[in-house]
Amino acid sequence: MVGLSLGEQHFIQGGIAQDLRCDGRKRLTYRPIHVETGVIPQANGSARIRIGATEVIASVKAELGKPSLSQPDKGKVFIYIDCSSTAEPAFEGRGGEELSAELSTALHCCLLGAKSGAGAGIDRTSLVVVEGKICWDLYIDGLVVSSDGNLLDALGAAIKAALSNTGIPSVKVTAGAASDEQPEVDISDEEFLQFDTSGVPVIITLTKVGREYIVDATPEEESQMSSAISISVNKKGHICGITKRGGAGLDPSVILDMVSVAQYVSGKLMNKLDSEIASAEAEDES
Amino acid sequence: MRQIRAEIGAVSKADGSAIFEMGNTKVIAAVYGPREVQNRSQQMSDQTLVRCEYSMANFSTGDRMRKPKGGDRRSTEISLVIRQTMEACILTHLMPRSQIDIYVQVLQADGGTRSACINAATLAFADAGIPMRDLVTSCSAGYLHSTPLGI
Repeated sequence: MVGLSLGEQHFIQGGIAQDLRCDGRKRLTYRPIHVETGVIPQANGSARIRIGATEVIASVKAELGKPSLSQPDKGKVFIYIDCSSTAEPAFEGRGGEELSAELSTALHCCLLGAKSGAGAGIDRTSLVVVEGKICWDLYIDGLVVSSDGNLLDALGAAIKAALSNTGIPSVKVTAGAASDEQPEVDISDEEFLQFDTSGVPVIITLTKVGREYIVDATPEEESQMSSAISISVNKKGHICGITKRGGAGLDPSVILDMVSVAQYVSGKLMNKLDSEIASAEAEDES
Repeated sequence: MRQIRAEIGAVSKADGSAIFEMGNTKVIAAVYGPREVQNRSQQMSDQTLVRCEYSMANFSTGDRMRKPKGGDRRSTEISLVIRQTMEACILTHLMPRSQIDIYVQVLQADGGTRSACINAATLAFADAGIPMRDLVTSCSAGYLHSTPLGI
């Protein structure tokens, strides 16, 4: 990205202070969001999301596996993010690995909760087939195609859309297998169970510039930030995860203030996303 | 031949970009350049430096795969093929001491990814306004029981 001159930096900071950003948006307004579902036919579920010029693709693949010994009644979920070199020349080869790792960790924290599975946005108990023996492993892959700021929010929304598009094949377990043997399973090609996404949270990234917070920052605005907090909020308004980036320290009262702003914004974003996903699914079916 | 679909300008940040679909194979190409050479030792005083990277997304094939980025032999070979093809068709002597990067990402692989990549790269170069001798197209062909087939 080309560096900003001093005049441009002051322009951005001054505009944000007066609730008028460079592209005319208010501080808490998102850029136009477009959702398309079912873009990867080979995957169990997929979605492509565009927020302004940022474009990400998320796909969900389900494979049968064995549950871990410590949690025999839960399936496993893996989240991998890949920053494609088409988004930034700097991501060529291994250049995008650091950012990919950072995004994967933040998404893990926001969507999957603690190691025991408590407080997770994605309900893993629905993924178990035979307790202790067979469960579904969900591999969620995110690909950043075009990067124009606010990658975490776009990835969170894409994963939410991909999960609503996901159909897990129904499995028939042949009865009568001995308790220590691996049971036979019959995976249906016809019936699919829609994954329950009512508990999946959305991620809101609040970027602090000067004394104000903005949502959906462009790369120019992100370069002026002192710190940023990404908060994932679910439908009930509960906080599922928080990640802080940026070098400046924040007073705890500021963090609480940002959390309440995020809760306010999440209501609008959740409704917008749900309506976009519903219309995308309807278009997909027709 | 399978049904073809193409879209130009998919990645707005890139100087030129295109999405090319051939049947179920879907490929996105982005061109950045001509711009200043990053690695001074590779700079050429009489022509432009063309670099290419080919990678496949984790979800592109039927079975999910985890590939080491930038280290896979097949990816390196295909990157080389695309680079040599495009280098031959661009008027490289018009842009000395500069660098053009072409990044190709396979979103869905269903055979013929190499050809789809070259076609997508041509469209991306055209979208970027880079001077070329002609448009390069590519198609793979094979024999099935002594009958020639286009893929």
